[in-house]
Amino acid sequence: MAVKLRVSGIGKDYLIPVIETVSFGVEAGEFVCLLGPNGCGKTTLLRIIGGIEPATRGAVLLDEQPVVAGDAPSRKVGVVFQEDRLLPWMTLEQNVALVLKPLGLGADARREVARRHLALAGLGGFEHYYPGRVSGGMRQRTAIARALAIEPDVLLMDEPFGALDAQNRRIMQTEVRRIWKETGRTILFVTHSIEEAVAIGTTLVMLSARPSRIRELIRNDGRVARGQLIDDLNTMIMEEVERQQGGAAVTPRAKERE
Amino acid sequence: MAERAEGRGAARRAARSLDAWADRLHLPTLAVAGLAVGVWALLSWRYGAYVLPSPLAVVRGLGEILSTGEVWTHTGASLARILVGFGGAVALAILTGLAAFVSPRARAVVHDVLAVLNATSVFVWIVLSIVWFGLSHWAPIFTTLMLTLPVVASNIVEGVESVDRRLLEMGDVYRLGGREKFRAIVIPSTVPYLVAGMKVGFGLALKVSVVAEIFGVTSGIGYIMNYSREILATQMVFVWALVMVLVMMLTDKLVFDAVARRLSRWR
Ligand SMILES: Nc1ncnc2c1ncn2[C@@H]1O[C@H](COP(=O)(O)OP(=O)(O)OP(=O)(O)O)[C@@H](O)[C@H]1O
Ligand SMILES: [Mg+2]
Repeated sequence: MAVKLRVSGIGKDYLIPVIETVSFGVEAGEFVCLLGPNGCGKTTLLRIIGGIEPATRGAVLLDEQPVVAGDAPSRKVGVVFQEDRLLPWMTLEQNVALVLKPLGLGADARREVARRHLALAGLGGFEHYYPGRVSGGMRQRTAIARALAIEPDVLLMDEPFGALDAQNRRIMQTEVRRIWKETGRTILFVTHSIEEAVAIGTTLVMLSARPSRIRELIRNDGRVARGQLIDDLNTMIMEEVERQQGGAAVTPRAKERE
Repeated sequence: MAERAEGRGAARRAARSLDAWADRLHLPTLAVAGLAVGVWALLSWRYGAYVLPSPLAVVRGLGEILSTGEVWTHTGASLARILVGFGGAVALAILTGLAAFVSPRARAVVHDVLAVLNATSVFVWIVLSIVWFGLSHWAPIFTTLMLTLPVVASNIVEGVESVDRRLLEMGDVYRLGGREKFRAIVIPSTVPYLVAGMKVGFGLALKVSVVAEIFGVTSGIGYIMNYSREILATQMVFVWALVMVLVMMLTDKLVFDAVARRLSRWR
């Protein structure tokens, strides 16, 4: 399979260094889950990959093309933010149809595509509802439908189910996995839930405490039993959380040298 | 026992629905108004018609200007001036909002200028407009413009500033062009602020333009009120005050509330 996305030596400094260096490759059709303690830079990494924010170091290649923050004529990236970010004054259908405009589709084609993707997300019949009149889960599904409608090269999702209760979360996990299987998109998915990652990801990337690097990259191909994998990841994240709380001065490298 | 309780419940329900109706018809307000008219009649009888004309005289005066059509002449003249002055203020305010949206530096300037305008008294503009425009239509028009501009502009600028950055970022991610972002995100988030500003601004325009009409013009509600006072027809002062209140309440209900309702369809 071809490498769809290459993250090479990405680093980011704000006032403090947040991401030290992160490199990995993603093949087309992979479902990558990003895990890591709070504030380790998962959102930042996703924003850099999406071209929303510039990196301090390193490069992101999408289909061999560099992703440049601010301008990017060739990228087609679907992003599902932690909040739905729908326009409240537009119906669900209009919200989805809006992002199809830059693709040069006519009004009828846009409506057709929007309806198809809303139906795919289980929202058939709700096309003319305003976001304020549907449930939080339905808004989040609309945001997912919007991201899928542009037929993105990569789909980036930042804790898209963070606001949902356990029940809806499970429903949405199944839903996203079904959509992923049906469309074969490449997905990068940030989550706090190890169970969620193990349940839906094909590749699991565990980031270390800030300034972050990759602590572990695991192929979730069934060779390690799920229960075992969940236990291992839980141990790792406990260590990283502890390390992060131990103070920003203790970098992973400093630990290693001890 | 149970029956009695039920009967009481029904009676209470009936009483409650009567109360609801009374509230909907503003009956309590009407009661207070009736009381006020009573006191007014008494005071008028005690102090004489020059100081306080009787309610009856006012009603008769209102009938008179309605039948002669005088009410339309002066209300029309005032409204025409307001439309020009206030309309100009709205147009300028929109330009101001655009500038504030495009450039942060312009926004800072706009803030400062609006602070100064907000702190300037009506009287300054009335006097200056007479100096600059003489005794003409343009004096009340200019006064109205200068006084309503900061109100409407402050609202628009606030609207522009409150545009959700996260929505704009969403627009960037999905590669919406500048014009598309403006149409789909900026305008819908700003228009409610514009309408709110216009509602307040229009009320202010009506109140201010009539004051400016005292000087130099020979039509308009402000002119005719002052004229009535000069010819000792105090009841007509009351009549025109009543007309003003009615115009204000009607535009509020029929124009601004309707527009605001239409804009918030999606809520
Ligand atoms: N615009 C910014 N300016 C300064 N610092 C920032 C900025 N954005 C993020 N940071 C810092 O970068 C670090 C990583 O933030 P980020 O949001 O990427 O973490 P995260 O892994 O997504 O955390 P969470 O699990 O809580 O969502 C935090 O310490 C944060 O304070
Ligand atoms: Mg985050």
